[in-house]
Amino acid sequence: MTRVLVVDDDPVIADLVSFRLSRLGLDVSVETDGQAGLAAARQLRPDLVVLDWMMPRMNGLEMCAALRADPDEELARTPVLLLTAKAQEPDLERGFAAGATDYIVKPFSTRELATRVTAALPPGTVRA
Amino acid sequence: MSGIEAGSLVVSAVLALLTVLLLLATALEHAGRTRRAARTARHRAELTPLVHALLEDDAPDSDVSSADPLLDELVLELLPQLRGADRAALQSVLVDRGVVDQAAAQLGARAAWRRGRAAELLGNVASSRHVPDLVALLTDPVADVRSAAARALGRIGDVTSVAPLLAALDARPSVPPGVVGMALLDLGTPALPALRDAVNGPLRAARPVAAQLLGLHGDPGATGVLADVVADGRRTPVVREAAASALGRIGSPHATPALVAALTSDAPLGVRLAAAQALGRIGDPGCLDPLTTTMRSAPVPVRAACADALTALGDRGRARLVAHAYLAGPTGAVARAALDSSAARAVRRPSSLQAA
Repeated sequence: MTRVLVVDDDPVIADLVSFRLSRLGLDVSVETDGQAGLAAARQLRPDLVVLDWMMPRMNGLEMCAALRADPDEELARTPVLLLTAKAQEPDLERGFAAGATDYIVKPFSTRELATRVTAALPPGTVRA
Repeated sequence: MSGIEAGSLVVSAVLALLTVLLLLATALEHAGRTRRAARTARHRAELTPLVHALLEDDAPDSDVSSADPLLDELVLELLPQLRGADRAALQSVLVDRGVVDQAAAQLGARAAWRRGRAAELLGNVASSRHVPDLVALLTDPVADVRSAAARALGRIGDVTSVAPLLAALDARPSVPPGVVGMALLDLGTPALPALRDAVNGPLRAARPVAAQLLGLHGDPGATGVLADVVADGRRTPVVREAAASALGRIGSPHATPALVAALTSDAPLGVRLAAAQALGRIGDPGCLDPLTTTMRSAPVPVRAACADALTALGDRGRARLVAHAYLAGPTGAVARAALDSSAARAVRRPSSLQAA
């Protein structure tokens, strides 16, 4: 089953994202900060990470950069979708510079989230 | 035992008893609060799937009219995080459950916090039929309520709010420029024509705010209006400064002559500083000479702003600074400082991945 790791310190958002992605037939795990998220990524080896930016302990950009620098090449290539309230152009540049595969700005649409997650995963992975 | 000792003993016993009772009451209250919090958390967990289901493409027409009032809290928490069809679905839940009508009724409540909260809710729900009520609240006697109404009008996004929001800057009592500015930014590009008019309009306090917003929007259509303001020595320094900064953000080289004229004139210091910074942002090579000349002769803060602007003009600007860096006196000092800070910025850039 395709695994997705959601890392967001806001339980309301984490629950919603988790619910929406579960409906796509994905196996979703949730962590609430970057440090725990990084540890979970190394353990679970997800097919995709949905990542908030502003979080305690380790923020999303730091986690994304750490993931990209991981010695395990397969883990380092995991697609990362940033889901953040930071909406300025320089933020977007910083997000992609840190290694994000895609970027969604809050307030967001759950339909757009589902579409982008589907696009980031190999064809046929997601339930139609 | 004397009478005094006996009295002391009784008082001590009563105090000890009261202390024990107080501790007991505190412990009971704490336990009750913990129980209530756990019950609410359980209840929220039960209602959350219902809220999520409302957002599904194939959501059945669930009857949410009789659901627990906690549902409204959950919907209101989620509402600002979502947009599009998700937002519309949650808004209609609040309308169906009568939450919007209740909030509208609270706009006239005696308690200020109720009026403010109602305004905030109507803004989150984007209830455009309540725009006139919220406009009326812009003159509320309580500052927080006025600000809540302004923010709500911004979220609702009805362009008819632009004029009242601008008027609220000049009114007595007024709404803070920062709050009005954010609300007008939320209204987006439909507000631009009114903002261009407001730069030269009758509302004195609205003019600099309108100029700043045109800059934040990067509105190229406002270049001419703003350039005229910068060049007009009869306008107040505040609005000229705001117009110059806005021209820098817009970045059109058509503004260069007006900005150069302000920089090299005897305009107030703030206007000249803003003009130098704007020229640096625009990066038009045509301003190399005026920036260099002003760096050699103006008051020190303006010289420093010219030197910084030259670093933004690429190799040719930096060459001018290098040529002046060996001079004694303020010209050499500002040139060296600008080169140093430019080099420091270049070193810092690779580590920009660290979060702000």
